[in-house]
Amino acid sequence: MPLVYDELRRIAAGYIRRERPGQTLQATALVNEAFVRLAAEQPRSFANRQHFVAIAALSMRQILVQRARARKAAKRGGAPNRVTLDEGLVSTEPRGVDVLALDEALTRLAALDPEQARIVELRYFGGLTVEETADVVGVSPATVKRQWAMARAWLKRTVDAAPDDGADAHL
Amino acid sequence: MTREQWERLKVLFNGALDQPAERRHEWLTLHAHGDEILAREAGALLLAHDTAEGFLEEPAVVDPTDLAALDELRSGTRIGSYEIEHEIGRGGMGVVYLARDLRLGRPVALKALPQLHDSNAALQERLRREARAAANISHPTVATVYALEEIDGRLFIASEYIDGHSLRSEIESGALERRRAIAIAIDIVSALCAAHDAGVIHRDLKPENVLVTRAGAVKVVDFGIAHIDSINTRLTREGDVIGTPAYMAPEQLIGGTIDARVDIYAVGIILTEMLTGQHPLTAGRHSIHTSASEIARRCVQTDPNERYRSARELLAVLERERSDPTAVTDSLTSPLPEASRARWWWEFHQAAVSIVYAVMVWPTWLARNVIGGQTGNAVFVAVLAAAIVAVTLRLHLWFTSRSYPAELEWARGRSTGWMLVSDAIFASALVVAGVLVGDERPALAVIEIAVAVGAATSFAVVEPATSRAAFRRTNRL
Repeated sequence: MPLVYDELRRIAAGYIRRERPGQTLQATALVNEAFVRLAAEQPRSFANRQHFVAIAALSMRQILVQRARARKAAKRGGAPNRVTLDEGLVSTEPRGVDVLALDEALTRLAALDPEQARIVELRYFGGLTVEETADVVGVSPATVKRQWAMARAWLKRTVDAAPDDGADAHL
Repeated sequence: MTREQWERLKVLFNGALDQPAERRHEWLTLHAHGDEILAREAGALLLAHDTAEGFLEEPAVVDPTDLAALDELRSGTRIGSYEIEHEIGRGGMGVVYLARDLRLGRPVALKALPQLHDSNAALQERLRREARAAANISHPTVATVYALEEIDGRLFIASEYIDGHSLRSEIESGALERRRAIAIAIDIVSALCAAHDAGVIHRDLKPENVLVTRAGAVKVVDFGIAHIDSINTRLTREGDVIGTPAYMAPEQLIGGTIDARVDIYAVGIILTEMLTGQHPLTAGRHSIHTSASEIARRCVQTDPNERYRSARELLAVLERERSDPTAVTDSLTSPLPEASRARWWWEFHQAAVSIVYAVMVWPTWLARNVIGGQTGNAVFVAVLAAAIVAVTLRLHLWFTSRSYPAELEWARGRSTGWMLVSDAIFASALVVAGVLVGDERPALAVIEIAVAVGAATSFAVVEPATSRAAFRRTNRL
């Protein structure tokens, strides 16, 4: 687990050095790159690719939630004497998914239907295709599609019903 | 919802989804077997399904800077010849770890500087230069920089590890005792003297960067490097709004030319915070004035030219302040009853004198009519002019004291001379008027001379006394 985390961070550092500032990375690209690099460096660290992407998806989810929380806390920063430069980094995020609300809903979904929650985690945070997800979960692609459809509907409904926190933490 | 209900909901949802849209509702009602709540839930899910277009369709995206900001080094990780123990802080300048220098076997604070874009070679060079300059500062109240390390293309700064707490945590539990606040300010400013001599400006002085060791010694950290993140930020996230760092001097905030006086500004804010427990921006207007708060006020002038010229000058002022015996019992944590009562008397005195002066214009008008001619006019004009000047100045001071106490010292300095002159003319003219009308109107003469004596006593004896009581602590400046 920490290995994946470190690898993701190293890749990010590489991107900052090479790419133009302000660019975003898609989970798919990041996870793939991390896998290729780790597989080359430490082939025995993971049982297989499935094992790796499952961990990578979970890492991505934690990373996004952690940063969204930090942003939210920074925005609510309060008294001016608490303002540090770090809080000055608060940026407006594109795209309309509230990561914190999604994370919360996903945790609730996991209690009702662990498989659906896992599928969402792999597809959204890990960037896997239906086939890849089916491979990792060990079910047929048709099942993944069905489960995904219901999970997405349920999450949409739950996230929309959650009290709106304003524009905070959108990612 | 129970797992069992969920499974039934799933059957309903999937079954209905297989039907053509117009038949779904009917299908649901038929297969829910009278469980209306479940049927409604399934209906709501179907609706959500139809409107979820685009939702979660694209995988999550992440900003690389977010990833790079993660806790990255775990306990036991080797970075060059350092072994990470644990994270001890995280701020604008990156993450700070407690690490062990394996060569010398001593603990160090290892700062991982933010990752920079390769094209920023010039900036990286500047970081190196500044870190080297910081390493040249040697002073007991400056955390010593041991080394600048470049490991895997990344910059790390190893410096003295300080086991203690930050000044921030002390301020959070309320105002500091005055003597301690001055002592800490002296330590901070001594550190600044050494740094400025070495050509290093701190640029991000704040209570978080002032540490107090277990033994009570003060250590200022992050000289010359604390601002790196602000540069990095500007370069990596263009268009972002940078917050208002509460310790930055105005010229720093607007991106103007910066010199050592930005650190003096920060000292003013920190001193105020230590004395009152509050940041001046949140504290509102303070009516209490002490010499210490005057020093702080001078530090935070918007125009750098109006601040103390150098850390050395400020240090001298603070040291004088520490040894000033009249200030020993002073405490800013609560208003001083004695000082505010004295100020009230002083204000009362100013108002009372103004009224008497204004009222005396009338008897003097009567005296002018009795005296008559050029002399009468001259005496009257002298009293009128002196009364106008004296009353105007006194009301000005009275108003300043009530509304802009911070400016009072300055206003008093400017009006004292004029007040002395107008008071003297007023009293003398009244005496002349009294003497001239003495034979014809003894009662009027008595009033004129009595008020003249009263005015003279007032400006010679009473006023200096009330002023002294009210301004004892600030007269020195």
